[in-house]
Amino acid sequence: MSKEFLGEFEELVLTMAGILQEEAYGNAIVAEIKQRVGREVNLSAVHVTLYRLEDKGFVKSTMGGATNQRGGRRKRIFTVTNAGLAMLRSMKEARMDLWKLIPQLKMVTL
Amino acid sequence: MKENRLLLRFLRWFCPPALYEGIEGDLLEQYEYDVAVFGAQKARRRFAWNVLKFFRPGIFLRNRFSNQLINTMMWGNYLKVAARNIQKRKFYSFINAFGLSIGLAFCMLITLYIQDEKEFDQLHTNKNQIYRIEEKSFDTWLHDQADPYRKSAWIQAGLAPTLKEELPEVVFATRFNEGNRAIFRYGEKVFTESLTYVDKDFFTMFSFRLLKGSADRIFLDKAEIVLTPAIASKYFGEEDPIGKTVEIDNNGKKSFTVTGIIEPPPAQSSLIYDILLPQENRSYYERNLTNWGNFGTPTFVQLQANTDLAAFKTNLDKVIDKHMSAMLERWRKEAAVPIPAEAKMLEYEFTVLPEIHLKKEISWEKVSDPQYSFILGGIALLIMLIACINYISLSLTTSAARRVEVGVRKVVGAQRNQLVYQFSFESLLLALSSLVIGFGLVVLFLPSFNEFTNKAIELTLFKALQLITVGLGLTVITGLLAGSYPSWFLSRFKPALVLKGGFTSRLQAGFTKPLVVLQFALSAFLIICSVMMFRQMRFITTKDLGYNKEQILVIPTQAGWTEESDRVIEQFRTRAQQESQIVSVSGTSSSFSQGYSRYGFKIKGEQKSAYVYAADPNYIPTLGIQLLQGRNFDPAIAADSDVVIVNQALVKDMKWTDPLNEYYNWREDSVGMGSRVIGVVKDYHFMSLEQDFEPMLLSMNKSSVGYLTTMLVKVGDVTTGLERVKSIWKELYPDKPFDYTFMDQDVANQYASYKRWMSIMGLATGFAILISCLGLFGLAGINAVNRTKEIGIRKVMGADMQTIFFLLNKQFIVLAIVAFAIAAPLSWWFITNWYMKDFTYKVALSWDLFALSMGAGLLLALATVSYHAIKAALINPAETLKYE
Repeated sequence: MSKEFLGEFEELVLTMAGILQEEAYGNAIVAEIKQRVGREVNLSAVHVTLYRLEDKGFVKSTMGGATNQRGGRRKRIFTVTNAGLAMLRSMKEARMDLWKLIPQLKMVTL
Repeated sequence: MKENRLLLRFLRWFCPPALYEGIEGDLLEQYEYDVAVFGAQKARRRFAWNVLKFFRPGIFLRNRFSNQLINTMMWGNYLKVAARNIQKRKFYSFINAFGLSIGLAFCMLITLYIQDEKEFDQLHTNKNQIYRIEEKSFDTWLHDQADPYRKSAWIQAGLAPTLKEELPEVVFATRFNEGNRAIFRYGEKVFTESLTYVDKDFFTMFSFRLLKGSADRIFLDKAEIVLTPAIASKYFGEEDPIGKTVEIDNNGKKSFTVTGIIEPPPAQSSLIYDILLPQENRSYYERNLTNWGNFGTPTFVQLQANTDLAAFKTNLDKVIDKHMSAMLERWRKEAAVPIPAEAKMLEYEFTVLPEIHLKKEISWEKVSDPQYSFILGGIALLIMLIACINYISLSLTTSAARRVEVGVRKVVGAQRNQLVYQFSFESLLLALSSLVIGFGLVVLFLPSFNEFTNKAIELTLFKALQLITVGLGLTVITGLLAGSYPSWFLSRFKPALVLKGGFTSRLQAGFTKPLVVLQFALSAFLIICSVMMFRQMRFITTKDLGYNKEQILVIPTQAGWTEESDRVIEQFRTRAQQESQIVSVSGTSSSFSQGYSRYGFKIKGEQKSAYVYAADPNYIPTLGIQLLQGRNFDPAIAADSDVVIVNQALVKDMKWTDPLNEYYNWREDSVGMGSRVIGVVKDYHFMSLEQDFEPMLLSMNKSSVGYLTTMLVKVGDVTTGLERVKSIWKELYPDKPFDYTFMDQDVANQYASYKRWMSIMGLATGFAILISCLGLFGLAGINAVNRTKEIGIRKVMGADMQTIFFLLNKQFIVLAIVAFAIAAPLSWWFITNWYMKDFTYKVALSWDLFALSMGAGLLLALATVSYHAIKAALINPAETLKYE
């Protein structure tokens, strides 16, 4: 693994950005996290995390087109960069490697 | 939606512009969604919460780096422009920096003070185990209902050895009596010195370094003595002091061998000493050791580490029970006032060494009130604040000149925050130069500051470095704070308007007006107070005291309370008769202001009191005291040894009509009628002018008033007379030190504390005037800038200089008068209730004082504001109006 690493929340946000593709902006990610993971997160936290990811070079952002919604304000769309994808992949693999080391016991059900 | 808009404005304020739109959009979308789901009211709440959550460093600190990158590029330019600007307006820059430097100097001085207070008694390794024992006893004298206990650090001489013997937790104990004056002699050298009596443990407990000798071998014998290097070199010069024998005359001569040299106590030490002697050498030592009723010996103990202080307190109570219970019971029964059964007659308390200095309720050499630190700190903050606001208003006055620069910079592409940086940088530079001036002021005023605060702060290199660090911190903070408003104001100019010309801006500086009034009121208050103090001091020092205090030398006979003293004066008088320079020689028990004795007695069942001075027949003529009735003492009449001469106040007190036929029974003689009154003197001020005339009597009765321990020598000419007296003394008493004072100086010294206050006031007044003038100067400048166009128009319309001068100045006259109206009653109250309260004899408060101070204040205000007024009035109207 490289020196750069992601925190749990950063990884979650990055993954969601990857899932949402062209529709990856602040609100959508909040909604997606709520829908898929069932976790209430604050908009500002998502924003700050996205900017941090941008600083690290895992996402890049562009302004989308204006719509009638949201007071005519444009969306800032985040796209996962190659570096971001590689990061996600290496994290997943590292986790899988570790997972394999755990004896695959069956869960005991009562 | 109104509050939403407000919130969004807030967001826009802190959010980097690049991020703003995306965030705002997301917030609004969330809001729309929330309205649909939760309804408008809850949605609004959630919106507010969401916006506030964005106020986090991750957002508002983002992208600040890129700006800084550009800034460093411009720094060279900023520095150059700042330096040019300062150079261009030297006078103004100096004033501005100076104003701030006063505030900084004050802050630094007060930092020094507070630091000094904190450093007290910190040098001792065992400082946290050393305690001073204090007694708390039921006060049967004063009988104060609210707090009937009296606390003191003076306890019994026997306690220290008893504690060390009986309590296992007491490792070391030492007694400490300082300030005992005695004659110290080595060979030819004879001086009066101050002795300090301690125990052997003193050298082990405290970390005062022994330069010669070792702690465990000192004071094994009671005839040993330990000196500070200063004393050693005074007597022995370059010789090795160890092993030398010196003689000390303290009610009897004794010899001592020097066995150690100890470093002098630092200025921040509660314990002070020059010469250390074993306690065993104190007078009546053996008797006091077992006398539990004699409280005269401060005591320090060192406890074992981890001693339970509550247990120690219980043990102290046990010591009281064991040794003093019988005595305390007797006291309780004999007390003049009934003592409640639950009240303890005596308790011991203790204070750990580092806390002694600020424990103000127990009197001790150099003890100080922690409140002073707070008060001084508050003053420093206030001054700093005022200095900052003055700084702002002064900076604003020059803004007009910078308008074009701002416009050009903006056109060339400077962003607003860059301009803010630039002006902040400039103000920081100016603040730094004021730090330099401020530091100079600290160095300049430290001696007077020490005098006012009774401290001995020295500016060592380490301290200076520390101070500069503190000052630097303060400077950066104030430079940025004070620079923030001007830079915000300056960077706001719109380039198009400025460069097109004809743009006049009004400086919004309403906050400076009340401030100027406040500053001026303060100055006026201080001016009135100082003038009043000065007048009172002049009144006191020039007042006729009823006796002649000039050209009189006061010389202690150095013979103790013995017959010897009288003989010294007799001998000296006989010898001095041949001298033309010596007018007369007289003896008395004590000179004015050098202590007094007051006797209390009952005459015909009535409680009376009188001050009593021992005198000889030469006393009245030497001092030029006026004898109203009767005659002076006559050495030829044997019966005169038991007669008295009284003053008018005593006659009045006794309601005598024919005093010369009265007897004054002041020794409560049950057989005789008392002392015959042979003369009445006109009242004279034998006490300070704080007091009215009190009953006083002069007597020659040796058994009642004691011996003549002080010689008063009236000389013809001060310098030559002093020389003659000195040489006669050396001839008659080569083994006694010649200590002398001048009576007029002694008398003046009574008012030393008032003099100190006067000089503090003087200095404070000076600073206050300076600061308030700066404030006024700034305000006048702003005013002149704001009215530039008006003045131009007025001049075009034909107004002459006088009119404009008057126009610009009249509001300041009003301000000054308002300030004065506030200050006058305040200062009147302060002077009458506080400063003059202690004086029975005071100079009258008259209207001319107020008129004079007010006139001076007004003149000062006018002089200050005139600079701007004249400058504004002299501007050619074409200059200000040509763009219209």
